[in-house]
Amino acid sequence: MSVMLEHPDLKEASTRSLVAVVAIMVASALAFTLATAPFAKLLGEHAGAVPAAFHGLAAFLFLFIGTIGLYLGWRLLTGRIRAFADLQLLAVVAATSSLIAIVLGNWLYIYYRAPIPESPRSYFVKNAPDIHRIFFEFKEFGALFTLPLTVVAAFILWQYGVQVLDRPWLRYTVAVLMGLAFFYLVVAFGLGAAVTKLRPA
Amino acid sequence: MSAKLMEEVERRVDTAWPPKPRTMPSGAAVAALMAAMLGMLALAVVNVFTAASKPFNTWVHDVGKLWMPGAAGIGPYSGKETIALLVWLGAWVLLHYALRGREMRLSTWLVVFLAGVGVATTLIWPPVFEYLAGH
Repeated sequence: MSVMLEHPDLKEASTRSLVAVVAIMVASALAFTLATAPFAKLLGEHAGAVPAAFHGLAAFLFLFIGTIGLYLGWRLLTGRIRAFADLQLLAVVAATSSLIAIVLGNWLYIYYRAPIPESPRSYFVKNAPDIHRIFFEFKEFGALFTLPLTVVAAFILWQYGVQVLDRPWLRYTVAVLMGLAFFYLVVAFGLGAAVTKLRPA
Repeated sequence: MSAKLMEEVERRVDTAWPPKPRTMPSGAAVAALMAAMLGMLALAVVNVFTAASKPFNTWVHDVGKLWMPGAAGIGPYSGKETIALLVWLGAWVLLHYALRGREMRLSTWLVVFLAGVGVATTLIWPPVFEYLAGH
């Protein structure tokens, strides 16, 4: 056995632990869903229920990916990363997730700003203008920042490969990009979730 | 890091793509950073001007309508996205070919990038862009 395979980080996880993790995740998701939203009304009855579901799903996936990216970015920053290939692939997946979430957000935005009294925008402008003026408007622009940040991170990791490990400022740059992308993602996600809770599209 | 240690790193670290030649200049990274920063600043500045001028707001919306599906429903946001995308990708192409062969001080350009992102973030904060637009 090589020295690498003897390292504790590279030991295989047991099948039992992997099955347990999957079971806990599925059970948690089902429990939260059933506790907070009756299954028959999962999508809601609003005009934008379908794009809202897709956009929310994409944003959730991006949040998971972004969280892992933040961790791997930290490992890269401190020079202790082992899963470099994972970071390379994850940066590409993060950029793609960002694009998908933005495109689906555009679709949902049509319902949000529909020129009818029942649309969320009309409702907020009439009843709580600061929700639209600050929450939503900052979110809609901040969310777009995640795309160039993740694309540049993926580009540097692809263009320079393992040279990134050897050159501190390339490491710092990629780590900063992953950290900033996570920041704008969390801001957009949090404000988007708040707006949706207050008035679904 | 010594050449010997670098070889050891390359041997041990798995990569998703094959490693590039070792002396690749930092210009390509600087070009990517600056282009992204310019795209973000373009979005922020266009947004200030759309808040300040109705004719410009209409023109920006028309830009979005040129290609984006559903732009009529999305509104001027479609044009702001379009302009930011064009500035970002256009600047990236130009800067990449101009800088790719140059060795540049990445630490300095990372600071410039962070300052630019900070300005863009400040400009998209609604109380700030509304103030600048004279509301």
